[in-house]
Parts: sequence; C-alpha cells; structure tokens
Amino acid sequence: MAGIGVVVKGRFPRRRMVQVVVANILRYLFFGAARNWFRNIGSIAPALGSMTLLLLMSGLAGLGGFALHNLEQVEATQASLLHVYIRDNAASADVSSLWDRLAADTRVASVTYVTKSEALARARQIPGLPQLADASDSNPFPASFDVQMKSINDVAAVDTLVRRDNAVDPVYPTSYDSGAYQRIQAVILAIAVAGLAFLAMLGFVAVTVTINSVRAAIHSRREEVTIMQLVGAPRWMVRGPFVVEGAITGALAGAAAGLVTFGLTMAGIAEGAGSFTQFAPGITATVAAAAAAIVFATGITLGSGSSLVSVRRHLES
Amino acid sequence: MTRAYGSRLALDDVNLALEPGELTFLVGPSGAGKTTLLKLINRELRPSKGEVWVDGIAAHALKPSRVADLRRRVGVVFQDYKLLPRLTALENVAFGLQVGDLRVSDDEATDRALDALEAVGLGDRGSSFPHQLSGGQQQRVSVARAMVTQPRVLIADEPTGNLDLETAWQIMDLLEDIAAYGTTVLVATHNVEIVRRLQRRILTLVDGRLVRDQPAGGIGEMAWLASASS
Repeated sequence: MAGIGVVVKGRFPRRRMVQVVVANILRYLFFGAARNWFRNIGSIAPALGSMTLLLLMSGLAGLGGFALHNLEQVEATQASLLHVYIRDNAASADVSSLWDRLAADTRVASVTYVTKSEALARARQIPGLPQLADASDSNPFPASFDVQMKSINDVAAVDTLVRRDNAVDPVYPTSYDSGAYQRIQAVILAIAVAGLAFLAMLGFVAVTVTINSVRAAIHSRREEVTIMQLVGAPRWMVRGPFVVEGAITGALAGAAAGLVTFGLTMAGIAEGAGSFTQFAPGITATVAAAAAAIVFATGITLGSGSSLVSVRRHLES
Repeated sequence: MTRAYGSRLALDDVNLALEPGELTFLVGPSGAGKTTLLKLINRELRPSKGEVWVDGIAAHALKPSRVADLRRRVGVVFQDYKLLPRLTALENVAFGLQVGDLRVSDDEATDRALDALEAVGLGDRGSSFPHQLSGGQQQRVSVARAMVTQPRVLIADEPTGNLDLETAWQIMDLLEDIAAYGTTVLVATHNVEIVRRLQRRILTLVDGRLVRDQPAGGIGEMAWLASASS
C-alpha cells in the first residue's frame, strides 16, 4: 500500500507550463471534439444536411438580395432618367429650343443628346434587341434627349411639359410610364419578404435540428460528462467540446454551401455574361467569393451558437 | 443542513463535522438520505437550508462556475465504478488528473497515474480496459482515480456494493490506508460486517435524520446496526 498520497508534483518552467496547458486544451477540447464528431456522425448527419441546405439557400438568397438591391438602384436611376424622343423630321430650331428649355429648367440635372446611330448602338447592347435592330434596313431607333431629373417626383411634370412640343415624336413622345417604378419596387419588396420568410423558416429548422443533435450527443455521453464534472473539470472544459462539435458541423456545412454558392454563381457568370449582368447587376467573382466567405462564417456561428444554446439548456453544472 | 425534494425531507436538520484522517461510515436503510448527504458534500446538490463547509470552502454558497474548485478537493468512489470504457485503466486515472488540472503534462500524468495504480495493487494492469478487469479491480482503479489528485476529502457511495466479501475487504483496506495519510474518508454502506469489524466512527441516518453518531472504537452492543442498515 506504500505510495498512496505521496505523489510529487513537478515544478515546470513557465514556458513549459504554457505548452502543457495548450497541449491539454487542444487534446480535450478540439481533438476530443473532432473524435466525438466522427464517432457520432450518424446522429449529426441530419443537422449537417439541413444546415448545408439552409446556408446554400442563404448564400443564393443573399446574392439575389444584393442583385435586387442593385437592380432597385438601377431602376431608380432609370426612373429619374426621362428619354424624350425626337421626331425624325423635326426642325433643328425646334430641337435647339427644346434643349434650351430643358437645360434651363431648375428641376433638370442634365440633358444629353443621343443621335439615332447612338441609340442603335445602345440597343445592340440590350439582350433581345440586336435581332430587332437588324430586322430593318433603316434605323428604327429615334434620336432623343436623355433628361436626368434631380428628383424622381418631377419626372411626370417635365413629361407633361415636353410631350406636345413640336420637336417631340407625337406617337411615342417619352419613356415615362407612370407607376412603373412603384410596381417594380412593390415586386422587389414582395420577393424580399418572401425570401426572408423562407430563410427564417429554414433557419428555425436548422437551429432546431442542430440543438437536438447536440442534446442527443450530450445524452449519449452523459456518463463521460458526469465523470468529468465529478473529477473537477471546469465548466468550459465540459461544455467546450460540444460547442466545438457544433462549430465543426457548421464549418463543414458552411464550406460545402459556400463552395456551391461560389460555383453556381461563377457558372452563371460564365454561361451568360451579357444577360447575367442584366438580371443580376453587380454580381461579380469578387462578390461571389465574399458571399462564400460569409456563408462559411455564418455556418461556424450558427453551429457553435446552436450548440451553446443546447449545452446551456441540457447540461447542468 | 436540510435538504428537501419538493415537500419530502431527504435530510432533516443534520449537523456533523468530519476530521482530517478520519474514516467514517454512513449507514442507514435505503432512502435514509445517505446519498443526498454525499451529494451535498460534493456540491451535486445544494442544501435547502443550512451550510456545508468542505476544507474551508462554503459548498452551500458556491457559484456554478466555482464548483470545479471544490470537486478537485473531493474524491468520489461509486458503487458502479464509473470508469470510461474506451480508456485503459491508466488513461482513466490520468484523465481524472488532467481534466482537473490542465497544467499536468502527459509524462507527469502517466507517472502519477501509474503510482496510484501501483498503490492499489494494479501496477501491472494499466493497459487493461475496464471490461478486461474484475469488479474489484475496476473499483480499485476507481479509488486510484479518486486519490491521484490528492483530495482532502474522499466520499464513497456503496463502494463494496457490487463486490464479494474478500474483494470488499481489499477495498476497505485501501480506504483505511488513504485515511491514514490524512484524508477525510466518508463511506456510505449497507455492509454491516465491515462496519462492525473496522470499529470506526458510525453515522446512522434514518428518514433523513442523524439518529446516532457512534465514535470510533466505542463499539458496545451493536444490535441496532443490523436493523438500521437493512
């Protein structure tokens, strides 16, 4: 029986002590969590799947939201830009007079004259219109004044002012469409609300599944947790591995979703550069990479956060 | 101290003090409050009323974040051993050492765990997994794990409950040795034979009340013990 209670504690140099503490933290917190994660992959799989799906949808929805925001900006700029179409046989004096009146108007920010050939060249840049432009031997696009308004609210008044002018095309005088901007805004708002509601639902499902999978992990390791608590393991050391496991789940889900988000976006950009920039303005490779990084970070946050909630609920001190 | 579960009193105004180096038996029928008392010492439970002081620490007022500090001073031995099945005997003992103190290196943990296993007579079984050990051997590993951190107090809840009498005596010999080195040892047991023969201090709980505090060596007529422990 000799030897009981005669254990000699070594006195280490400070640097050695730090190394030992770091090694033990790595082993019990991170390596232990990774080992348990692989051991429990069967119970973790549903959480991993739902979180990957959520993050993928979030990434794509985020990019969609960014594109919608840019689209709204473009539409706002477009809506405050009034095209005043010049009749083909308008007298130069009438055109000059109209220019002078528009330029002098305090509500107008700028006036730019667009020739028929410039209008044709511009039309060729718009998806679908090159065929229309080539269908006729003559140039069907009229010359115009591009009138940039200071406020979108003054567009209607200026439209009323110019549409009966002698220089203006009587059939199709301006580009003004009352209510068009409001309709676009309403559609964008509806899409955004529906998207957010869908994401909120998916988020709830993913968080719930993750919390339950961590709860299952806690129950399956109840004995180990109890022993750790009874031998005096600090609270963070008992709870930490579960949070790390959640972070691993979130990181893997985030990495997978981020890569797919990036890949799909790049494929979209590569497949139809022209039309893609029309329908998803501002979406570039850099933006796609940033979205993938955000998705990855969100995955880690979501995984560790859900685990923390579960640990706080189901693991007493 | 008093501890209630709802309207039922598990411990009713129990007042006692345990001295360093003292081995004390806690006896009483099932449901008398023995396990509740041990859990109060280890701060698995808080008293409904009263105070629990362990080696100068107010266990009754301890914040959850400070409980680990107390438990490093209190070794625990269970009836069902509570060894981790995927760890060897040596790893189980070292595990108890390192999770309680991260400053313990692998080498030091191995050395100290091996010392502890040798002290309980299992120096040559360090590489065995729990399922490869007998019940008595597993309990000795459990004792080694409880002692390797050099706790000031050791509580044992029915440590011989799953063992035959010969093995039970081996465990009790270990607990006596531990007490001889200055550790306060409190053993909850139903084993009347062991309690009679060792003639240590005996605390008797019945229906949550401390009905008898028999000092060590003061064994006279002990007919009451059989009925109290049944």
